[in-house]
Amino acid sequence: MSETIIATDRRINPADCFDPDTGVLQRRIFSDQEIYREELRRIFGRAWNFMCHESQLPAAGDFFMNWIGEDEVIAVRNRNGEINVLLNSCPHRGNTVCRAELGNTNSFFCSYHGWNFDLDGRLIGMPGEDQFYRGSVDKTAWGLTPAAKVESYRGFVFATLDPAAPDLKDYLGWVGRLGIDFIASKGEIRFLDGVQKNRIQCNWKLAVDNLFDWYHVKVSHGTALKLGVVGEESMSPMEQMVVLGEYGHAISGPGISEARYQEAVQRVSDGGEDGEWFDREVARRVQPGVAEQLGALGKRSFGHPNIFPNLWVNLTPQLCLRIPRGPFETELWWFTYEVEGMSEKDRKFLQFMANHIFGPAGLLEQDDGENWSHSTRGAKGSFGQGLPLNYAMGLGADQMRSASDGQSGIETVVSEHAQRWLYSSWQEWMLADSWQDLMASHAMPPTQGTI
Amino acid sequence: MGGYADMTLQEQMLLKHEVEEFLFMEADLLDSRRYDDWLAVLADDIHYWMPIRRTTTAREVELEFTKPGGMAFFDDDKTVLTLRIQRLSVGRAWAEDPPSRTRRLVTNVRLLSIDGDEVNVGCNFKLYRTRLNSEEDSWIGRREDLLRRVDGGFKLARRHIFLEQTVILSQNMSSLF
Repeated sequence: MSETIIATDRRINPADCFDPDTGVLQRRIFSDQEIYREELRRIFGRAWNFMCHESQLPAAGDFFMNWIGEDEVIAVRNRNGEINVLLNSCPHRGNTVCRAELGNTNSFFCSYHGWNFDLDGRLIGMPGEDQFYRGSVDKTAWGLTPAAKVESYRGFVFATLDPAAPDLKDYLGWVGRLGIDFIASKGEIRFLDGVQKNRIQCNWKLAVDNLFDWYHVKVSHGTALKLGVVGEESMSPMEQMVVLGEYGHAISGPGISEARYQEAVQRVSDGGEDGEWFDREVARRVQPGVAEQLGALGKRSFGHPNIFPNLWVNLTPQLCLRIPRGPFETELWWFTYEVEGMSEKDRKFLQFMANHIFGPAGLLEQDDGENWSHSTRGAKGSFGQGLPLNYAMGLGADQMRSASDGQSGIETVVSEHAQRWLYSSWQEWMLADSWQDLMASHAMPPTQGTI
Repeated sequence: MGGYADMTLQEQMLLKHEVEEFLFMEADLLDSRRYDDWLAVLADDIHYWMPIRRTTTAREVELEFTKPGGMAFFDDDKTVLTLRIQRLSVGRAWAEDPPSRTRRLVTNVRLLSIDGDEVNVGCNFKLYRTRLNSEEDSWIGRREDLLRRVDGGFKLARRHIFLEQTVILSQNMSSLF
């Protein structure tokens, strides 16, 4: 697979679609077909895309189907214990070689003409190899196309189709890694069987932008708050922290002061876990080495991380992948994890959150869909698509500060800093013609000053 | 009530009629938005469960549904079902405001087993939902309902819902099945 270099020939310039200095975004990025096509090539075709967790594939031959943009891929564990990511498309006629979404197999057998591929994607058999092809096929040249690179960070497996992509660790940077560390530092992680999947008639970016959004909670999820399904304290905290990472990663949401964190440390050290809603998380973070790993700001953040482009890592026990299905449709996949050796109380909380809060029937989540689909509709009309949207909350009103360990962030109230970072990073991805170009042109997040 | 096999055909028909009347009435309560009346026909120990379904090969079809105790779309007790009903009346339940229009078709009713005061009933259903001007959702599936005879009538003591969809082709499942 060769490096992706994309010629620039387009109607709408992404540079004109967002102005980070005013926070004004053009609606057409949620509806334009050409923008969408370019996103598949320039973002999903080049980014590190989340595939699965290693615990989902314990044995050789275990596979899990996923998507990179609109290309279907198979994540499969081979006989050496490595995880491959293979394009689910037979090189003979393009037919899929795997129709199940998970399972265990010895090989991938094409149902059209019977080409057969091993767990590394090598072509190992084809009917009529001698009789019809007269032995002329170089089987080594006609395997399943593998992802350019597959790497995992603390058990979370990602793949990229672009060989020029930086290593996963560098791609994630400290912010993307911190997002995963929030979960991985809890202990041995195991993903549970069963991914809740559903489709919303919305542009994928609106689903992503929403995960940073602590402004909508009281209104969109007012019912869940009124019923006490989720706590007012945890859902609309005034103290917020935003951290920004290169290539578009960000974490936005609750973040407490050092003084409140130390109080929580004291409470959980005294054996209590019920003083504040975040004590449950702090109890994990006082384990040896964890706070140090999360960092001076990270240990005090309970926000929502997005691994750019589309993986929401939630501190409650779920991750949500937002898979594009055209400009007007997004598939949401909710993965659920548990921590080895977790207490019965924590397990009950996990199951309550996973089976009752998120997912399409979730008491919280069910109220989101129509907002996103109607926001997408608001970008469709021939008049409406030419109108701006206001992403200016908190613009120029906050300070970016660095901690002694080098982490930097914004400690503030509810804001739209992370959304602005998402869309200015989106612009960088959409304007860059190659990874080399993106590495050279992308902005590093500021470490100090007014933001 | 004795075992199903011990019953005469006439007794079986009468019981099936009674069961059908209950299921049709219960569906009508939801379609008519008489939610508190619907809660009243649920047994206090109800388990309301919809597993996640997956596409698997024929060879591994035993993996098709997630197992009880694992991940699910619904895994509710009466407390959670009561929350689902309460949310409709406290305001800001946007998924159902404006309210959806629903119609439930319950068919292919069969008495699967009888144990004392409890009848295990299989049926097929279609839940059609339309809302706003033109939005449509349609869910078809199979149910296994446990009806318990209480005070001369039935209470719903268990509902297991097996949808045909794997990826839910809807923005939410704010309707009850």
